[in-house]
Amino acid sequence: MFDAFLVVFHLDNLLLLLAGTAVGIVVGAIPGLTATMLIALTLPMTFHMEAVNAVTLLIGEYVGGISGGLITAILLRMPGTPSSITTTFDGYPMAQTGRAERALALGIMASVAGGIISWGFLAGMSPTLAHFALQFGPWEYFTLVLMALFMLAALASGSLVKGLLAAAIGMAFSLPGVDSSLGSARLTFGSDTLLSGFGLLPVLIGVFAISQILREAAEPKKEKGKARLPDRKLPVHWSDAKVHGMNMLRSSVLGTWIGLLPGIGGNVAALVAYSTTRQLSKEKEKFGTGHEPGVVASESANNAAIGGALIPLITMGIPGSVTEAILIGALTIHNLQPGPLLFQNSPEIAYGVIAAYAVANVMMLILMWGTVRYIAMIAQIPRAGLLGAILVFCVIGSYAVNNSFSDVWIMMAFGLVGLGLELAKVPLGPFVIGFVLSPIAEEQLRASLMMSDGDVWAILHRPYALFFLAIAVLTLFYPMIIDLLGRRGGKTESANV
Amino acid sequence: MFNLTRRRAISGTIRAVAGAIVSLAVASTALTATSQAALADDFPTKPIKVIVPYKPGGRTDVVARMIADKIQQKGWLEQPLVIVNADGGAGANAFGQLKRGGNDGYTIMHWSHELLLSVAMGLGGFQLDDFKSIGFTGGGSPLWAVREDAPYKTLNELIDHLKKEPRSLVEAVAIGSIPHIVGAMLEKSAGVETRYVTANSNADRLRLLLGGNADIALFAASEFMRQGENLRPLVYFGNERLAALPDLPTAKELGYDASWANPNWWLAPAGTPDDVVKKIAGALEKAINDPEIAEYFKNNTLEPYWTGGDEAMDQSVAMLASLKSITDTLK
Repeated sequence: MFDAFLVVFHLDNLLLLLAGTAVGIVVGAIPGLTATMLIALTLPMTFHMEAVNAVTLLIGEYVGGISGGLITAILLRMPGTPSSITTTFDGYPMAQTGRAERALALGIMASVAGGIISWGFLAGMSPTLAHFALQFGPWEYFTLVLMALFMLAALASGSLVKGLLAAAIGMAFSLPGVDSSLGSARLTFGSDTLLSGFGLLPVLIGVFAISQILREAAEPKKEKGKARLPDRKLPVHWSDAKVHGMNMLRSSVLGTWIGLLPGIGGNVAALVAYSTTRQLSKEKEKFGTGHEPGVVASESANNAAIGGALIPLITMGIPGSVTEAILIGALTIHNLQPGPLLFQNSPEIAYGVIAAYAVANVMMLILMWGTVRYIAMIAQIPRAGLLGAILVFCVIGSYAVNNSFSDVWIMMAFGLVGLGLELAKVPLGPFVIGFVLSPIAEEQLRASLMMSDGDVWAILHRPYALFFLAIAVLTLFYPMIIDLLGRRGGKTESANV
Repeated sequence: MFNLTRRRAISGTIRAVAGAIVSLAVASTALTATSQAALADDFPTKPIKVIVPYKPGGRTDVVARMIADKIQQKGWLEQPLVIVNADGGAGANAFGQLKRGGNDGYTIMHWSHELLLSVAMGLGGFQLDDFKSIGFTGGGSPLWAVREDAPYKTLNELIDHLKKEPRSLVEAVAIGSIPHIVGAMLEKSAGVETRYVTANSNADRLRLLLGGNADIALFAASEFMRQGENLRPLVYFGNERLAALPDLPTAKELGYDASWANPNWWLAPAGTPDDVVKKIAGALEKAINDPEIAEYFKNNTLEPYWTGGDEAMDQSVAMLASLKSITDTLK
């Protein structure tokens, strides 16, 4: 392990890591361009590099790409990457109330904490954790996602009905495509374009970025507050460790854990951590209005998910997401097979990945911390120019996912959907959550039932699944029970009077 | 920071426009058959776009890139091959791009027999006669594996168990995908049935099998080699035994009518001129016979071989017929 750090500290590797992380942050911050896309585009360039160099560059891009997403999520309410969806919930309201730098600083701190904590798990307990995570089958995945869905059901600030409506619309849009359990086309209306369904990225960019651009374009020009000079004082103090430490730790552990489960990535990790933090909070109603713990939970978890996802990757060769699948591709091109034999056959690579991940987190901290005040000034750039540039990137990004122009039309259409929802005061959060989570829940439930020959009660043999289900049911009925008890209490009181 | 392919693609477009103007001029001035031949002699005058219907990193993508690199390095074609990834829609997205690219030989495709599955399942909106076959540059076969602690040491023991207790084992597959169809071939031939659990990727199959949520899963031989520990291979679906696993019997040897030799298939749109296809095929054949490529193939349990366009198409037509007999029972 120590040797691996020495390898990573070679000048060429450090420079590659620095370059990778820096480019990653920029790409991650631009709505429409994601870490996955960057890594896919860089992959062919790494064919001619040494294996260690290739891996350090890609890891840097990965860490930078996920971290950069918080910038635009906070300043413009456009998640730079799908992992930063939940960061918009509280980050943007904070920025609107003049606390942009504070939100950015907290987000960066949380990202680093998430990275370091999950690195601890990656370096210390990879094999154990990987084997534990393997026991999770379809029932566990289904109940875990169901739990997240239920916990988030009440996320909508304001009307519960509108929140549920938004979630239902999101779910409906996730239906078209190839039925994951039968392999047949579903609700595609004979269109080949719809065979791959509505892609996550075009939908996300459409609903968040395009709709925002449309709305701002429609708004009458309003006088922005005078550009403030960046504060001399750092917007974070040591006392924040006390306030947010527990949250960072919890969200990072949750994020690592969810990253560990192959197939669900940083966005689900951030959603679960955000909802858990909200459920445990005494000030639930403050979430969604610019509450600091919301930003902290989301950003700790999505960065921790990277470390988590690297665990099954290097110990078993199982990629946790598309990004990792591309990383595996990078390794196999160099004739390296990730898996249990990697540590024996090429320890410099296996430990190199671990060391590079730690160093990339430190680089990310330095890069973002050093520039946070200047980043915050993005919000001062004249909107017309900024939004125009973003629109260009949105189109490029949507096109580049699959080199397909129909994804650009899908993005535009969802821009209108997003605008319509906003105008009808239907919240976007539950919409995206329904869209992201329900396909996973559906696929896993149907896989479970295939496996048990249609027997629903097979779940009784799965203790973890029962545990998640119990939490899900509790979250659903807890407010009702409290409400009921409260009302009864109230009634007796009024009877006394 | 955008990569070379992108820049190449852009300069490619510029050249494409220029090329189109030139060829228009040529076509309008000399409307004779000889000008056609002259064009083919010059081919290629601009980069050739190779569409891969997946995201980067998988076998189809890596093989395409290696061969493209080799051809450029050795100068077997005057212009580079540029790989473009077009994932999605069971190949519909890639096919759309292939069609839009035109049948002048500057837009081709690298796929596998997964194409036949899309046709057999009626997905993607294309048929075999939409393509012109350039040839196979080698291929690989999958195998069936169980966990190492499973009670079955051989395929026959597993099949006996399934005969005694029908549907007692869970197989990790995605319905309508290679693992499903190849497994179904074997099961049909052996007269047994399993239960399924959805697994849409190799990673999913591995995870479900190792975690005890599935009993049987199919892996490409190279994927299996990567795992090394904890899995036991039962049967190989190639036509002959695999050099890397000499003790593993093939399904044919054991008396089952089930084989799947998935080739790396190079395709052009139907109507692409024969001499242009011949020129590309010549370069591909040289590349697959290159010692460096052959070495990579062997290390990754792929077989390097060359099958010419017409023969490749004949084999594929035969394979499609037997696939349809399986997929028809699903509908």
